[in-house]
Amino acid sequence: MSLYPAFARPRDLGQAAEIMGSLSTGAMIIAGGQELMPSVNYGALMPEVYIDVGQIAALKGISEEAGAIQIGSFTVHRDVQNNDLIQSKLPLLSYAAAQIGGGMQVHNRGTIGGNIVAMHPLYDILPSLLALGAEVDVLSDVGEVRVALADLMKDARHGLGSESLLVRVHLKPMMPGAGWSYEKLKITAGGYGSANAAAIVTLDSSKITSLRVVVGAVSALPVDMSDTLSDCCGQAWSAHLAEEVEARSSAEIKEPLSDHQGDGEWRRAMAGVMARGAIEAAIKKAG
Amino acid sequence: MGEQTSETEGYVGRSVRTIEGRGPVMGKATYTNDISFPGQLHAHILRSPHAAANIKSIDTSGAEKVAGVVRVVTGAEAAKYIDPIPHYIDPAVFGGRSATIRCLALDHVWCFGQPVAVVVAEDKRTARYAVSRITVDYEVTTPVIDVEDALKDGAPMVVPGWDANMIMEVPFGSGDVEQAFSSADRVIKTDVKVHRFSTQPIETRTYNGVYDAGTDSITLHGTVQNPHPLRNVLSKILRMPENKIRVHAPVIGGAFGMKMHGHPEEGMVCFLSKLIGQPVKWVEDREECLLIGAREQVHSVELAVTKDGMILGLRDHYLANTGAPSSCPGWGMAFLTGLTMPGPYSVQNVDVQLSAVVTNKPGWNASRGYGKEVTALALELSVDNAARELGIDPVDMRMKNFIKKDQFPYDSPTGLIYDSGDYAGVMQKAMDAIGYDEWKTKQEEALKEGRYIGIGVGFELTPEGGTLPGTLVGGYDSSTVRVAPDGSVRVLTGVTTPGSGNPTGIAQIVADELGVRLDTIEVVQGDTTSCPYGFGNSSGRSTIVGGGSAAKAAVEVREKIIKVAAALMEVDESSVTMKEGVIASGDKIIDLEEVCYACYTRAYDVGSVIEPPLEATAMFKPGLVRHTPNEKGQINPYPSYSNAAYVAISEVDVNTGVVKLLKFSVAHDCGKVINPILVEGQACGAIMFGIGAALAENITFDENGRQLTKSLMDYVMPRIGDVPSITLTHHDSPNPVNYKGLKGAGEAGVGGSAAAIVNSVNNALSPFGVMMTETPLTAPRVWSAIQAAKKAQPQRKVA
Repeated sequence: MSLYPAFARPRDLGQAAEIMGSLSTGAMIIAGGQELMPSVNYGALMPEVYIDVGQIAALKGISEEAGAIQIGSFTVHRDVQNNDLIQSKLPLLSYAAAQIGGGMQVHNRGTIGGNIVAMHPLYDILPSLLALGAEVDVLSDVGEVRVALADLMKDARHGLGSESLLVRVHLKPMMPGAGWSYEKLKITAGGYGSANAAAIVTLDSSKITSLRVVVGAVSALPVDMSDTLSDCCGQAWSAHLAEEVEARSSAEIKEPLSDHQGDGEWRRAMAGVMARGAIEAAIKKAG
Repeated sequence: MGEQTSETEGYVGRSVRTIEGRGPVMGKATYTNDISFPGQLHAHILRSPHAAANIKSIDTSGAEKVAGVVRVVTGAEAAKYIDPIPHYIDPAVFGGRSATIRCLALDHVWCFGQPVAVVVAEDKRTARYAVSRITVDYEVTTPVIDVEDALKDGAPMVVPGWDANMIMEVPFGSGDVEQAFSSADRVIKTDVKVHRFSTQPIETRTYNGVYDAGTDSITLHGTVQNPHPLRNVLSKILRMPENKIRVHAPVIGGAFGMKMHGHPEEGMVCFLSKLIGQPVKWVEDREECLLIGAREQVHSVELAVTKDGMILGLRDHYLANTGAPSSCPGWGMAFLTGLTMPGPYSVQNVDVQLSAVVTNKPGWNASRGYGKEVTALALELSVDNAARELGIDPVDMRMKNFIKKDQFPYDSPTGLIYDSGDYAGVMQKAMDAIGYDEWKTKQEEALKEGRYIGIGVGFELTPEGGTLPGTLVGGYDSSTVRVAPDGSVRVLTGVTTPGSGNPTGIAQIVADELGVRLDTIEVVQGDTTSCPYGFGNSSGRSTIVGGGSAAKAAVEVREKIIKVAAALMEVDESSVTMKEGVIASGDKIIDLEEVCYACYTRAYDVGSVIEPPLEATAMFKPGLVRHTPNEKGQINPYPSYSNAAYVAISEVDVNTGVVKLLKFSVAHDCGKVINPILVEGQACGAIMFGIGAALAENITFDENGRQLTKSLMDYVMPRIGDVPSITLTHHDSPNPVNYKGLKGAGEAGVGGSAAAIVNSVNNALSPFGVMMTETPLTAPRVWSAIQAAKKAQPQRKVA
């Protein structure tokens, strides 16, 4: 805690790694500031050093290389929404980024990296990234490593944002013909979502051939339902299957959140409603 | 003298643009927090983290060591210099229990968030940081959170020394209730639980105390609705005479009752400024703003009815959880809920009793509707429940029981005297505006597709312009109209605006009465040193009494101008007209400025027919108020009774419980409409409040009485995306005792619109037999009710 924080602005990844390695706890990376600054203004956080990564070119840009799409962690939500490459090859991600709350200002400032690092259960991007099987590059003073986002997301004490830096996100393009959907349940226009689900479905005639479903905002971390629901593959969607998907998805939520967005019992039930709704909507788009 | 302004001419009745709106819209308005002075210091308050505790010791040394800290003050030190905060409405005046309220707690805290100590520093951040370095040794005691717990035998006392957790119990009503209930075909009971919700102005409270040693006087710049009454309160706290205190209320960013005074911080910044000798500012943060509660009431409404829906009698013994004692006027809301029973309904056998309970939750302050919105919720939900039980149409039941338009002035069983109204006409207009019958057809069709559309109505009677004997809640007000030598007009008035546009309404009235152009008028409010004595803004009063008094003053000044104009033109006074700044007699025309200049400069020749300057102060005191109790001991604190009917169309997603509003209509009667667009803006704003109340806004606590609702992400107010299209119509029945028949516009509508929404949801879910009478109807609650109903009974057809 300090009343008089210092400010560091590394010019490249090397400088960033060096600064992070040389500082004790209390240093915080600031990118778009949409997560950090409200906490500072509220008095919940008082960083001793702000490390502004806004000047590092390596954190910016969206590109395609060797059949994979890379998104720099400093990419703002608005660019994720509007980028041609993402719109054509990762339409689920582009759509999910458009569902982020807070309005135009947040879309123009908030970054994909910040959204991941915050690991906020009610944020919008993680379920889609997990459904898409994202990988991320993480830089620390010992070097850069690539990890599956799902592995990183297992523990909130990931050290990102103070001890290490999220550099970029790697994603494989969605399969042509895959249906996708991101469903978000909001009680009011101004609040956080109470439950959401991202789904990617492929069909062979009417039978499901692959299914990815991740449910968010109902527990501390997004819940990947894909394994639980894997036996949907080979079946055609039906009222019976829909009910089963809903019930099994709800049952998968062991420790539902209970907060201003709704109590635990309802959140658990909504996990099922969202999973079912997302799959249904994805199936309609598939083919 | 002069011609009367006809209905179609002049400014009154027209939707003119606000004259005071330009600054805020341009981002150029000077709000309280924009005002700073050389040597400006900033205060941050240490608040109790406990709902109930004894303070054993406070160690401020850690805070005092922080560079930039000027002073740290505890309750014990403050008590040496200042006195407790007088109550805005002292319960003792009405026979209730009155607690001693201090700016800073002495040795005991009775709610979460109560101020315990304050740090004054050179900047805000330092003050906030230093507060975290204060150590308080609390001995935590068991709090009482719910009204039921507060009333149990052996319950801990919220206020040490009291023998009950009760401000007062008040019976309302008269008639032969026993007879009404025994002769009724049915008695239908509805438990209505209204939750804690408040108002959240975007500009939070801000106060800047500035002591002037040269004159030993204090100026408080602040977010204040009632500057003159606050000056009296400050004089008691600060032990200074009122003539040494100035209260200045700059442009305000929303008030809604929350900025009525009694808050600890008002006196605190003044005292700190005097103690230190430099200006001290405090800006409330959102978490602090959310500590101010209102409206948490438990009603048990029993209606004695005939088979065909006539209401013969009403009983409602209700409990209000007013939280810990406060000097703010919030607790009086609970009183008004009972006084306004049975609202628009012609029921004379009434037994209503208020229990105003204290608990260890934070206290209340006034909130738009001032308890009358809860009356509407309790009544309107009960009537719908009764109509369903009786199998009759809820609108028919209301029409059958409304007071008829030829029954006014109407003596209510609680002692109120309703001035005028046409409740059935208002209801019919609201239904026509939305296409009530077409929606019934749409509802049936939707149900066939498995969609649940509901139609709900609500009615709200909103007494306005209230005045309570023995308090500085005044019924009258005063204004000064000044015309300068250049002909420009300044109106100084004792009423203030909460941002609702009343300065424009007052200017429209003055423009017509005086006969000048609207753009030559400046309205000055909110300054005890420049404005005539007044009671500020509350209870929909500002245009009624501010406009009424300004009109009277304008007429006096106009007479002077006409006299001098006649002398200058050498014509007879009776031939002179004055309209929109043009003074004429036959084909002679004279410039307003020339006449005004002559009034000031030619006092010894043509101007000698008048007494300069061109200035008059007048007072307007509405009729109908009765402060002398009648034979039943009842008073009527209100001169006018605005009213409105609301129709809500909603659709419920039965899988999630989410309620979506499809359409809304309102017909309202605020008497003569001075400026339709302003009145409509206020009415739409009230509906926004109603939507928030019915569906989302909720202040919650943990089991230890610690408040969980801390930000606008927790306390979710409706956004424009939540608001359906609203059709608004006017149905005016002028108040016979007020200037231009005004009844007050701006406060009304929170309860009536919330009730219409709740009723629409219940209507949508009638196929399940769902009847929810506990607010808010959040998606989880609606979903739970559907689940419970599905378990209890197989699905049945819509009623």
